[in-house]
Amino acid sequence: MSAADLMGPTDEATTLPRRKKRDWLFGIGLTIVVVVVILAAIGPWIAPYDPTAVTPRIVEPPPSLSEIPGLLWGSITGTLEHPPHWMGTDASGFDIFSRVISAPRIDLSIALAANGLSLLVGVLLGLLAGYYRNVATGLLMRVSDVLQSFPVFISAMILVALAGRSTVNIIIALALLYTPIYIRLTRAEVMSQKVRGYVEAARAMGNPELTVALRHVLPNSLAPALIQASVTIGFAILLTAGLSFVGAGVRPPTPEWGLMISTGANQIILGEWWPSVFPGIAISLTVFGFAVLGNALERRYDGG
Amino acid sequence: MTAAEAPMLEVRDLSVAYGEGRDAVRPIDGLSFTLRQREIVGLIGEAGSGKSTAALALMGLARPPGHIVGGQVAFEGRDLLAMNDEALRRIRGRDIGIIVQNPRGALNPMLKVGRQIGNAYRAHNKANRGDGKRRAIDMLRMVGINDPERRVDAYAHELSGGMAQRALIAMALSSMPKLLIADEPTSGLDVTIQAQFLDQMWQTVQETGSAMFLVAQELGILANYCDRVLVLQNGHIAEDAPVRQFFAAPQQPYSREILRLEQDTAEGGISSSGTVKAGAEPLVRITGLVKNFPIKGSSKVVQAVHDVDLAIAPGETLGLVGESGSGKTTVGRCLVHLTEPTEGEIRFGDQTLSGLSAAALRQMRAKLQIVFQDPYDSLNPRWTIRRILREPLDLHTDLSRGEKGSRSRELLEMVGVDPGLIDRRPQGLGAGMLQRLNIARAIATNPSFIVLDEPTSVLSPRAVVGLVDLLRRLQRDLGLSYLFISHDLTTVRYLCHRVAVMYLGQIVEKGSVDQVFNEPKHPYSKALLAAHLFPDPSQRRVDRPDRRELQGEIPSPIDLPKGCYLASRCPSAKPDCQARPQELTILPDGRSIRCWRVATGDLADQEGLQHAV
Repeated sequence: MSAADLMGPTDEATTLPRRKKRDWLFGIGLTIVVVVVILAAIGPWIAPYDPTAVTPRIVEPPPSLSEIPGLLWGSITGTLEHPPHWMGTDASGFDIFSRVISAPRIDLSIALAANGLSLLVGVLLGLLAGYYRNVATGLLMRVSDVLQSFPVFISAMILVALAGRSTVNIIIALALLYTPIYIRLTRAEVMSQKVRGYVEAARAMGNPELTVALRHVLPNSLAPALIQASVTIGFAILLTAGLSFVGAGVRPPTPEWGLMISTGANQIILGEWWPSVFPGIAISLTVFGFAVLGNALERRYDGG
Repeated sequence: MTAAEAPMLEVRDLSVAYGEGRDAVRPIDGLSFTLRQREIVGLIGEAGSGKSTAALALMGLARPPGHIVGGQVAFEGRDLLAMNDEALRRIRGRDIGIIVQNPRGALNPMLKVGRQIGNAYRAHNKANRGDGKRRAIDMLRMVGINDPERRVDAYAHELSGGMAQRALIAMALSSMPKLLIADEPTSGLDVTIQAQFLDQMWQTVQETGSAMFLVAQELGILANYCDRVLVLQNGHIAEDAPVRQFFAAPQQPYSREILRLEQDTAEGGISSSGTVKAGAEPLVRITGLVKNFPIKGSSKVVQAVHDVDLAIAPGETLGLVGESGSGKTTVGRCLVHLTEPTEGEIRFGDQTLSGLSAAALRQMRAKLQIVFQDPYDSLNPRWTIRRILREPLDLHTDLSRGEKGSRSRELLEMVGVDPGLIDRRPQGLGAGMLQRLNIARAIATNPSFIVLDEPTSVLSPRAVVGLVDLLRRLQRDLGLSYLFISHDLTTVRYLCHRVAVMYLGQIVEKGSVDQVFNEPKHPYSKALLAAHLFPDPSQRRVDRPDRRELQGEIPSPIDLPKGCYLASRCPSAKPDCQARPQELTILPDGRSIRCWRVATGDLADQEGLQHAV
């Protein structure tokens, strides 16, 4: 009897036709995220002006719609005396467009570093807490309850205020605040995975307990934390910008969206809206992009 | 019944499609059959062959995105598919009742079961709430629920699986439908409850002149209760035969395949094939095994296993049978030390497992393996088959990478899985194939003993046949010993040399398969065998005059009785049984039994008298 005979028509469930509906929101989210990541990598180099160098033109409004074609033509043919200020300039004479596209480097790296750190710590502690349920891990969960019960923004402000305004301190503050989420998500998943048959089978095979935990339970418990991470990155960017806005974030003249909104805010009553509106749009789009991506990932994960 | 009598249900060319146009798949494609009054028709087919879809379609229903695309379902001469929704609603529930799988999921968790049954009744009958409740109580009593006056006020989560199933049946029967559609109504129930329920259904059909369409995965159910058997293949009926003819001379290759083991066993089976040397030194020996689980926040314990002795010889299969909660799985888990025993000794060869260090025990696992019940759950979903099979080789052998690869392919061939699948992940493979992969992983390190913990319980009939074949072949070729844990006595008979019956953590009877199956002596074994549905229409349970059943529910394993554990339910109990702890006694014919009345010859005589009368 050959192997093929034995199997015959498989006892698999009837395969249903695949859903054809494309997830267009996922596409938009992904596009935004990719653009932001590219800007974080090369933004300062493709910017027409040095984002931290002043120009002689102060508070110049962005070109009106009718001027744009001419300016576009001019910048392609190189007949302009200086590159156009697509989003105008601010009170210090900085080119806003250059600053907006340079900002992802600082915003995204803070968000990524904080998220990476909290993901790493949170997942490992979550694994521990889900695997061994004893007094120590019980205490860990209570501590993370306490951390989670403070408003994130206020806590971040206080932490940075106490530790001093530096990029590293902002990262540590954000990481500390996001870790409990990852602990909780991973712990719940570990608790449901560790009683599954394949984990028992790994133990019955003669794997040491540590191998069972790290090679079998951990990789199968990562999905919720990873999905959460893509949502959290967006919010971490928002939080970074927020901290700079209230003066607890990075120092001027670093190109950073929150800081730009903050310095431009004073001019809004004078009708000079552009220094803060453009970075505001940039933040909104970025946070939206990451959130949509996270939701789409979650739907895919839940749908199997 | 006369041939001229019009059929109650006539299905012609019924088709159900998923999807539209060219991409549509048709799980049901041209289904045709008839169903008469007082008839129970069984439908069998592979997993995924569309049995449940067919059952729903008989009521004019399809689960989205499926939809019925053609055919006729004539119920008492009127085509259900041509009716408007209003007319259909009146027929559903009143004239046609349905019982689905997963009883707890089908009950509304927010409503008392009595209300739900009453509502179903009131939807089709002029009745107020009080009538509904009275009807619910009557129905619950009819389906054999003790104390129905109290149970009507229970919520779904307060009922056991068996009781939830019976509540659902009560709901389906509340308006006394003429036709009952039941989709594997007893899956997940213990054999004793399954038998009680099916007896009830059979009786209802005979008495009220209704009819039943029964989707079943078990040959035993078909043989015992159905008048006709339909085989569903490729969306249509491949075979439609009276039950005796189906079992005696199956026509289709599929039917022949699923009945093959039954015919083999009738001609002798495994117990007569001598793979075990008489008087051989046992390979595995359990003595005085006790396992208690502490209850949180209480000084009490759950006694899962209580004083179990077992010995398994090289090349032998010992069957361990009993209802759920009997502790059979715990014995298996203690045997491979996945659960630490509370007391007792487990010897494997010349080693005592509990004396081993953690590292020595891990080494030992190469020789001592286990296969779990749920194949979908026991393979790491993120790993390819190649990696899954390499893991035991990495742990226990010094083979090179290339040698491990060829060993993995060899293992796949041994268990009958196409080695071309080696880079696939378990997802999307069928239960039968996954279980073969589990076995391949278990035999990778050449073990001498494998615990098989209900490995066939979720498989389709055909996959069971394949797996039993495989296990027998591996035993013959590799000289394996098995502990085969199962509640399915039919499979036990196919595979085992000896069998031990467990009840509430104790072994109550142990002997050769012939001894225990043909002439059970312990009252519990008798009840278990009486409840078992053998796949043989000439030995139907409903025809047996003596259908002794155990009374009441299984006692809680927390506060066990002092005397015999079965005393409160045993039909042959004497006052003495309540106080007298039972010892396992060896009888002259070699079997062991835990019942003083049988051991002293007290009970056997009585039974003989009863049979003579």
